[in-house]
Amino acid sequence: MKLPTDIGKDCARAWEAMPWSLQHSASHEQDEWLTQHLSRCEACRAEFEQQSHLRLAISLPPDIPVDADAGLRRLLARIDAPDTHATTQRPRTSWVTRALVAAVLVQAVGIGVLGARLWSENQPEYRTLSQATAPLPSGAIHVVPDDTMKLADWNGLLHSLHLQVISGPNEVGAYTVVASGASASSKDALQKLRTTHGIRLAEPIASAP
Amino acid sequence: MNEADIDADATDRMLLQRMSAGDRAALAVLYRSYHGRLCRFLSRLTRRPDVIEEVINDCFWIAWQKAGTFHGDSRVSTWIIGIAYRCGLKALRQHGDEPVEEDMQEDRFPAHCPDEDRELRDWLAKGLSRLSADQRVVVELVYGLGHTLDDVAVIMQCPVGTVKARLFHARVKLRNTLPALAGEPPIRKESMP
Repeated sequence: MKLPTDIGKDCARAWEAMPWSLQHSASHEQDEWLTQHLSRCEACRAEFEQQSHLRLAISLPPDIPVDADAGLRRLLARIDAPDTHATTQRPRTSWVTRALVAAVLVQAVGIGVLGARLWSENQPEYRTLSQATAPLPSGAIHVVPDDTMKLADWNGLLHSLHLQVISGPNEVGAYTVVASGASASSKDALQKLRTTHGIRLAEPIASAP
Repeated sequence: MNEADIDADATDRMLLQRMSAGDRAALAVLYRSYHGRLCRFLSRLTRRPDVIEEVINDCFWIAWQKAGTFHGDSRVSTWIIGIAYRCGLKALRQHGDEPVEEDMQEDRFPAHCPDEDRELRDWLAKGLSRLSADQRVVVELVYGLGHTLDDVAVIMQCPVGTVKARLFHARVKLRNTLPALAGEPPIRKESMP
């Protein structure tokens, strides 16, 4: 028996042609050529015989019992109930979609909360020269009471002049006071403060230029 | 494609057209005419009758719904077998791949199965068990269902070259194993040109 490498192109061509000749899709010329080749090539003849055997075996009816009528009945029942099929599919899709939407929303809320916290933590605890200072109310007065002045006298003085401390004392002992009532005049209060015993300094705060 | 194939395809197209108009009788005719072919084709992928029936019904469920969209780019048989192939792969993913059984079960054969057929089936089953699932499918499509390489490429949604390679390797494996299974020495162990 000749080896395939020795057989040459004809055997390769015969090998290619066999399935199509067996399934009767080869042209008449191809069939004739193959018949002639098989008559003089023992190896290809044996191969073709085995291929014929293979085709015969593979064309046998299926050996697994599947009832066509029962299958068709089930298919028609499935077609008759398309809504059932649709409703069984819909919640699954809907549930998945809802879960995804919920997950995205939770993530968005989480990112928002974290972002807000991060932003608030990042607020600087210093002020740049270009930033405006918190404006003092108009008519504010710096007052420096004497060290010997009693707290009751100080409170009484503020009360009588309708003044209210809004900050202080600072590093030199000055309080910032403003008139607490709409009727009270800061100019009158300033004059009275300057004449009051126990007040070392009373100066209006100049507004920013 | 010979005249018989052309006639069969024309009938199938007519049935599809009627199905697209909701004709269930046409569906029943097409179902019965393809049932045997699909059973045998799918038996190369799985041995479970319940999975085979499920795949056939999934295939015809799709064919029923898409009958109106068939434009005739291929034969109806190519279209239907292609749907069945994809449904079969999907079912295998769901149920798990099961190779062709090595041992033939007595109850697998129909009661009328003659001894000669049984011997032939045994010989074939042992030969196919040496092939991959893709190679078994190609062998069935070419030798069993009589499809061309172009048809098989459409069915398996792969290039013709891939189909050729699968068929070539399947044939080489079979030629080396089948004679031995029949008690004969292999024709030759080498690969073909």
